[in-house]
Amino acid sequence: MATTSLPPSALGPNGNNNPSGLSLTRPALNPGGGVDPMVLEDAMNKLDSLRLTRSPSSTSGHSQVTSGASSPSGTTGKAGLLERFGGGDAKSGIPGSSETVAATLGRSIPGTPHFGAQTELLKTLDESTKVIRQNANIPSRASSVSGIGAVVEKPDYSEAKIVVAMVGLPARGKSYLSNKLMRYLRWLEYNVEVFNVGQLRRSKARAAAQSGGDKADHTAVFFNHSNEEGNKARTQLASESLEALIAWLKAEGNVGIMDATNSTFERRALIKNRLAREPKLQLLFVESLCNDPAVIATNIALKVQSGDPDYANMSREEAERDFRWRIEEYERVYQSINEPDVSFCRILNVGSQVTINRIEGYLQSRIAFYLMNLHLKPRSIYLSRHGESMYNVDGKIGGDSDLSERGWEYARALPDLVKKNIGDLPLEVWTSTLQRTIQTGSFLPFEKKTWKSLDELDAGVCDGMTYEEIEAMYPEDYEARDDDKFNYRYRGGESYRDVVVRLEPVIMELERQENILIIAHQAILRCLYAYFLALPQEELPYIKANPQIPLHTLIKITPMAYGCHEERYPLPIAAVDTHRPKPNSGHRKNSIPSGGSSVMGHGSDNLEAISRATANTARDYYGDLSSHPMTNQGSASKLGELTTSPKHGSAEAVEAVRRALEKDQDQGKLSPKVAVGSFRGQQ
Amino acid sequence: MAAPLYVTQSGRLWHAGLILICTVGLPARGKTHLSRALERYLRWLGVKTRVYSLGDYRRKVLGGADSLPSDYFVTNAPRSGSTDALRQSIKNQLEDQIWDFFTVQGGQVVIYDANNGDKISRKQCFDKFEPRGVHVIFMESICDKVDIIEANIRSVKLSSPDYVGWEAEAAVADYWSRIRDQEAVYESVTVDEGPFVKVMNVGERIEVNRIEGYLQTRCCFFLMNIHTTPRTIYFARSGQSLIEHSYKADSDLSPAGWEYAERLKAAVAARRKALREERRANGETLGTENPLLVWTSARRRAYHTAWPFVHAGYKVEQKPIMSEINPGVWDGLSSQEAMERYPDEWERFLADPYAHRAPRAESYHDLSVRLEPCIFELERVRDDLLIIGHASVIRCLLAYLVGLPPNEVPAVEIARGDLVEVTPASYGVMTRAFHFWSGEGRGDQSGQNLYENFAEATSGKGTVLPESGVNFAADVENMESEAAEEEAKDKEIKAELVKDALRKRLGSTDGTRSAPSEPQGMGPGEDARSHKARRASRSRKMEVFTPEDDEDEDENEEEDEGEEIAGGPGGFKTPEGTQSMISPQRLQKSV
Repeated sequence: MATTSLPPSALGPNGNNNPSGLSLTRPALNPGGGVDPMVLEDAMNKLDSLRLTRSPSSTSGHSQVTSGASSPSGTTGKAGLLERFGGGDAKSGIPGSSETVAATLGRSIPGTPHFGAQTELLKTLDESTKVIRQNANIPSRASSVSGIGAVVEKPDYSEAKIVVAMVGLPARGKSYLSNKLMRYLRWLEYNVEVFNVGQLRRSKARAAAQSGGDKADHTAVFFNHSNEEGNKARTQLASESLEALIAWLKAEGNVGIMDATNSTFERRALIKNRLAREPKLQLLFVESLCNDPAVIATNIALKVQSGDPDYANMSREEAERDFRWRIEEYERVYQSINEPDVSFCRILNVGSQVTINRIEGYLQSRIAFYLMNLHLKPRSIYLSRHGESMYNVDGKIGGDSDLSERGWEYARALPDLVKKNIGDLPLEVWTSTLQRTIQTGSFLPFEKKTWKSLDELDAGVCDGMTYEEIEAMYPEDYEARDDDKFNYRYRGGESYRDVVVRLEPVIMELERQENILIIAHQAILRCLYAYFLALPQEELPYIKANPQIPLHTLIKITPMAYGCHEERYPLPIAAVDTHRPKPNSGHRKNSIPSGGSSVMGHGSDNLEAISRATANTARDYYGDLSSHPMTNQGSASKLGELTTSPKHGSAEAVEAVRRALEKDQDQGKLSPKVAVGSFRGQQ
Repeated sequence: MAAPLYVTQSGRLWHAGLILICTVGLPARGKTHLSRALERYLRWLGVKTRVYSLGDYRRKVLGGADSLPSDYFVTNAPRSGSTDALRQSIKNQLEDQIWDFFTVQGGQVVIYDANNGDKISRKQCFDKFEPRGVHVIFMESICDKVDIIEANIRSVKLSSPDYVGWEAEAAVADYWSRIRDQEAVYESVTVDEGPFVKVMNVGERIEVNRIEGYLQTRCCFFLMNIHTTPRTIYFARSGQSLIEHSYKADSDLSPAGWEYAERLKAAVAARRKALREERRANGETLGTENPLLVWTSARRRAYHTAWPFVHAGYKVEQKPIMSEINPGVWDGLSSQEAMERYPDEWERFLADPYAHRAPRAESYHDLSVRLEPCIFELERVRDDLLIIGHASVIRCLLAYLVGLPPNEVPAVEIARGDLVEVTPASYGVMTRAFHFWSGEGRGDQSGQNLYENFAEATSGKGTVLPESGVNFAADVENMESEAAEEEAKDKEIKAELVKDALRKRLGSTDGTRSAPSEPQGMGPGEDARSHKARRASRSRKMEVFTPEDDEDEDENEEEDEGEEIAGGPGGFKTPEGTQSMISPQRLQKSV
């Protein structure tokens, strides 16, 4: 018996002999291994009891065909059991049968019934297959499967260690490129820091001034290349900055961006020779050239206006004159990068001409490609979630449901809002392939494209469930996801990290495009939003500025010199709140103790998120201020504006939702449980 | 039309309009290599692309070098009037064909493979096409390394019809003189001539000027990533899993699947050795062997199939974008059930198995688009690469590598237990398949290959042309016994090393456990050391793999599988694996 060679056991769904399509693979009964029949029997019994809850019509017929076709007459006992096991649950996915199961268990109808987590089927299968897999007589085995997902480790980036040294005259957009690059790579989870030599110089000067020393002279005289003392001081600063960068890279970093002029062969040779002593670090120069006087003038004006402490006690004219003089001092000795034996990427007028030399390794080529796709044309990116969907109303995740009545209302109101905002400028609309986004965009009189990569995060086995159901059925998994939502991958589905990876080509395309309106889904927009506003990844799944990415709100993002400007246009159409706040109840380890209810206790977090988003638009001159973004000019007024904008959670809206739900309930569309559930965000 | 991101209302892809990419460069600079690679990529992207080679056309019309006027390639002295007229008429005829491809045949990109080595001919070309609404780009290939050029002449040019019947050395000399003539008058492209991309020494340096537009920047990125370092790419499917036909269940390997995983590792090792032998026999000079890099999808059945490689210290990368085609709401259904429940969808699906997207599912087209970043990474990798994945993913990647038309992609048979080997050759790739496993999960009783679900399966999805290069069912070579031998050898070496370690540890000479001084002595750490020693002895690429790592691994395993009994009495762990408490004898009795 033990050595019986059974027919191929994947009861192939495409194999003609098995129309029922179930293929729980039978274990190989090789000599030297085995399955405890008692455990197996137990698993069979569990499955049997599950099957009994289904209507008999759904299983009859097929299971007989199955055992007849694929189990030869000599097979008995265990194999027979397995046939039953195999053939039995084949029909679990039929709507009729799963409805029965759902009804029995008092849960909503699963969106994707097969092996969905809604029924006990998945658990039972896991339990029984755990036994079966012990049978393999193999030295190396990985851990087994259970539950509805797992926290996935970050890919290993430890080998990527690159020094990106900027090259270029002042006011040529070096900081702009550094900043963009940092945002992009951080979004892809690389550890990136910008080491700005100017910031270091100013911080030092300030520290010296505060400790009673003389105020350092940082007018153009300092930058004259025949000023011996100035030269020495600047070389010293550059090498200090480089040393800090190297130390950081060796310790933890992936990409360190040295934001300095590095304008001569000599200076670049210093960097190159220093890095030659660090075999694990790669060096890439990025030169930003600009010969468009308009762009330079804008950059100079920006610099002078933005409160550069170098020009603290000067009039604007004086400051501008001094800054232009400083540029001339640099121009006198400037040598464009041209060294044949170093890796470099030279960019003229952001994107119009790019030279790429000796790019090595995947990350370097990614950086070069990204820089190639950038442009400086003024444009805005509009983000909108789809209108409220039937699944939103039901509190379910995933699915491909249609819009609700209020969702349609939003879709009808959207064209006016967009047109008012964009005027006659060209606009392109991008939607996902799911009905709710296509429907939301259906009235917009612009060119539309559907992107598969904009589809909502795939919740795998949990698709079509409510959060309450998940919590009730898989409390431990539910907690695991709450602890690390970014890294949690739904079984048979995706994690936020997976979504970021799949959105990367979209980001690349977005950088190339001009005005775009993206109609997509909560998780997708969180990822895109995080890219533009440079939000850290661990915060990404919980983006809740104002207080989240709500339904029925148009978000306008305008890229600026040092970040993005954000405006929001909420439409007064009620919708359920689909945001689930980050739980911070005390019983979980590693959680920060915090007062307040889990829903309302996030006021301070909100402020933080908003201020970070807005602080981005102001230039940071010391580098040491970044931890106190509130001190930046302009962010306070912005903050007020954002927090006072109307929220959809007003009394009227709640009332409207209640009315709508009651209506649906009267018509038998909703069960009372779901109706209550959908209010959880409003309470 | 494998992977267009989107199609525009004009029917052409992207608003890129018509693009003419003119190659520029001296002979034997790899222009044709770049042209073909770019054509393959653009076609895979779904762009109607064709290479028009002036040399090929001239040969077709006029014949080989022997049948040309003697001054046909002369550049350093005036040619006779009739030769000039002949050259011009050949050129005009070809350019008329290019125009016909744009206007009549609906083509979007033409790669015009010619020398275009002087400003005047480039200007003529630019002025001919640009005013007619074609975006002209120059793609210059520069090479200043004599060894690359010489290798190129020998590998490609000698087999050209121009040199049929020539002696090799004479042909090489003739070709060098052709190059020298042209070198004298060669002018590199300058900024004022128009948009260009210059590729130095096959990608060592790239210069890009005024390149705008989606397709154009894609092409540049592509050129940035390709290289000509010899390497081999292997593909294999994941082992059989417990719940085969469900995408969502993401189930683990079955016992047969775990055995498959071990055998796969042995098969890859055996095949790599055999390939090296083949090359040696062909008289190739062999350098050091490329390290092997393994990619898998993030699906459990694939990653666990790579587990023996992880265990042995190979670098294994999980790529979430390499998941198999998503069957959407049809997940878990048999074709019979899908047909019954979604009759309309099913019909449309069968009518266009490549492009049809079932509800919430992915079409092959969606899958190709998803895989595009992988293509770039694949091009960039210089190590040998093993991709352990799913039939649908392997098909799409192969489609790119061999240039398969989309309608054939869903029909490619990828048997579980075949190792597909892809080796870059001049202007394309060579594919072979090796059958190393006939165990459970390979095929059904009728010999049909088994696939996880019908989204993955081939039935009803057309056929692959016999000469397409992916007709593995017909051309597979058997290496079952070699793979089995390799695995046995591997085990032997491992057992030897364990015995050695035991002897040292226990101070005994016969390798038996004479003293129970350290019952936990043969812990995971010891196992790892033996691994390490084995790897060292076979001079494989060494990864950082310390005994501590291994210990962690095993601890996790035990944590995860609480019910599993880690070892026999005394926790003794043999290299052959964890012995289950349930002995085969007991099982036989009770059944």
